[in-house]
Amino acid sequence: MVKTFKSIFFYTGAFALCVPPLFVFIWMILTGLKTGIQNISYPPEFLFTPTLENFRAVFQQYNFFRYLLNSLIIATLATAISLVLGLPAAYSIAKYRQNKIGIIILIARMTPFVSYLLPWYIIFRYLKLIDTYSALTITHLIITMPMVIWLMVSFFESMPSELEDAAMIDGCSRWQSFLLIVLPLVRNGIATAAIMSFIFSWNQFLFSLILSGPKTKTVPVAVYNFISYGKIDWAGIGAAATLIVLPVSIFAFFVRKSIVQGLTMGALKD
Amino acid sequence: MANVILKNLIKRYGSVTAVDNLNIEIRDREFAVLVGPSGCGKTTALRMIAGLETVTSGDIYIGDTLVNDMAPKDRDIAMVFQNYALYPHMNVRDNLGFGLKMRKFSKTEIDRRVQEAADILGIHDLLERKPKELSGGQRQRVAVGRAIVRKPKVFLFDEPLSNLDAKLRVAMRAEISKLHRRLGATIVYVTHDQVEAMTMADRIFIMHNGTLQQSGMPLDVYNKPANRFVAGFIGSPAMNFIETRLVREKDTWFIASEGFKVRLPEAFYPRVEPYADRPVIFGVRPEDMEEHDPATGSDSGNTLTVQAEVVETLGFEVFVYLTCGPHALVARMEVPKHPLTVGQTLEVDLKMAQIHLFDRETSQTIV
Ligand SMILES: Nc1ncnc2c1ncn2[C@@H]1O[C@H](COP(=O)(O)OP(=O)(O)O)[C@@H](O)[C@H]1O
Ligand SMILES: [Mg+2]
Repeated sequence: MVKTFKSIFFYTGAFALCVPPLFVFIWMILTGLKTGIQNISYPPEFLFTPTLENFRAVFQQYNFFRYLLNSLIIATLATAISLVLGLPAAYSIAKYRQNKIGIIILIARMTPFVSYLLPWYIIFRYLKLIDTYSALTITHLIITMPMVIWLMVSFFESMPSELEDAAMIDGCSRWQSFLLIVLPLVRNGIATAAIMSFIFSWNQFLFSLILSGPKTKTVPVAVYNFISYGKIDWAGIGAAATLIVLPVSIFAFFVRKSIVQGLTMGALKD
Repeated sequence: MANVILKNLIKRYGSVTAVDNLNIEIRDREFAVLVGPSGCGKTTALRMIAGLETVTSGDIYIGDTLVNDMAPKDRDIAMVFQNYALYPHMNVRDNLGFGLKMRKFSKTEIDRRVQEAADILGIHDLLERKPKELSGGQRQRVAVGRAIVRKPKVFLFDEPLSNLDAKLRVAMRAEISKLHRRLGATIVYVTHDQVEAMTMADRIFIMHNGTLQQSGMPLDVYNKPANRFVAGFIGSPAMNFIETRLVREKDTWFIASEGFKVRLPEAFYPRVEPYADRPVIFGVRPEDMEEHDPATGSDSGNTLTVQAEVVETLGFEVFVYLTCGPHALVARMEVPKHPLTVGQTLEVDLKMAQIHLFDRETSQTIV
């Protein structure tokens, strides 16, 4: 009885949470499959002959493939650097209880990003780094690195310290015990951190808008360019947005188990 | 040769002194047990021997080498942890071989030693399993196995049996003792369980509040506790203590308290003399009390009249919870001929040669 009640509750809640984003998602895909005329017709048409013309146009007119590649390179670099620097940092914060450093990193993350824009623009222009992968990757780190660190701290904290003690007695140096014992044990967390970090970098708009240029434009910025003074290319936006979101969504669908584990496992001992 | 010497060893955590001026000399091939209640500093002492914890001051020697600044891996020790600390992502074989792999042993030598350890511990069937697929007792064996493959000079055990159920604990106790004889290595074994200490140790070292209270062979410590703490800690059920006074009547010494008076054996007189008319703590072990047998005749001044409150029958013996005036006592006796009933008055004899007296202020043993 209580159980059915609970599951009714659960499904109602899940439904309420999932329907709005799903609606928007489907709307976006439909927009990409319609022609420009169909998109602005009122009332909206739900029965229409889908066209792939917009997708073709996105690649032909806008060099969209280049933007996808840019996003991929930057997100990969940002994620890789966040892991290489963030994992040891998180480990150190967890092991030596450097809570102050943890807080500072959190503050950096919580500062409104707009406030970074101007100084960064000036600095990167001075360094002649505008429109380079370096500038974009570095700025994305302000988002991805704290995420990696904060996620991983709880993983490292939940690891019994005796495992490392045993490793040290078994002949490991500190680094070896970190690489051979600690990291393999938190691999779920690392996977989660990497995925989240990749997605956040992939979706990042503000920094990319200011600091990228023709050579390094990322996909969210590219989509923004579909909005021009005169008109908004809804069909193009729909197709492009679908192209941006789809790979990440499919990816997330396949690794969802590991993400859920990763986000809940930090709490588990043993 | 691996003796382990702790000299004036001190460990402080901020204002907490976990280990306070410990002086211990463990001989080569000895099975030494550090025993004491939880929080007395046993683990800290062991971790300092392992090199997992720095010393605040003092020296540690392993095999006559000063190891204070030596990394754990260079000390030629192996440690078995209370929670086993098996590497969860490796199967049993890799867990056993990890230490050898890190020390660059050849593949064949690693295989040989892992096989050998598996033979000794009977864990052949488990080699391909992950730790989480093992029962508590099996994990325990693997943890011991990981220690023995390395053939270290000194084994350190931190409460290795405390997570096992009672039956398994008894079995493993015997097995670790056997292993000690077979390996011929020095073992430093930490436990809070005095039964483990008594049954396994060549010598036991009793700790309390970070300090060493007494060391010696198990029976010596049992028979001649150095102070009231040791007397109460070793033995189960614990020794009975009664606050008493030493009184002299003519040429005879008695210890007396409300509802309680026994005559001291003459052999004790010289040592109790200075405590005349002063309060002392009287101690008698439950097993040193027996039902008075009227047939043995005359009263030798060691008989108490008591009341039985609770009787626990264990089959071959009984624990009788008694009151003697305001004092509560436990006696451990043979099963009486006539069943005892609750509230029954009976007479018990104390084995006076085995009683103990402690200084009330210093807690040190008088006799
Ligand atoms: N890392 C630590 N930081 C602060 N205090 C500690 C630490 N480790 C142990 N202690 C303290 O030292 C004392 C002895 O602890 P421990 O050696 O673990 O005792 P035992 O193993 O005998 O139960 C305890 O009071 C404990 O709180
Ligand atoms: Mg302990």
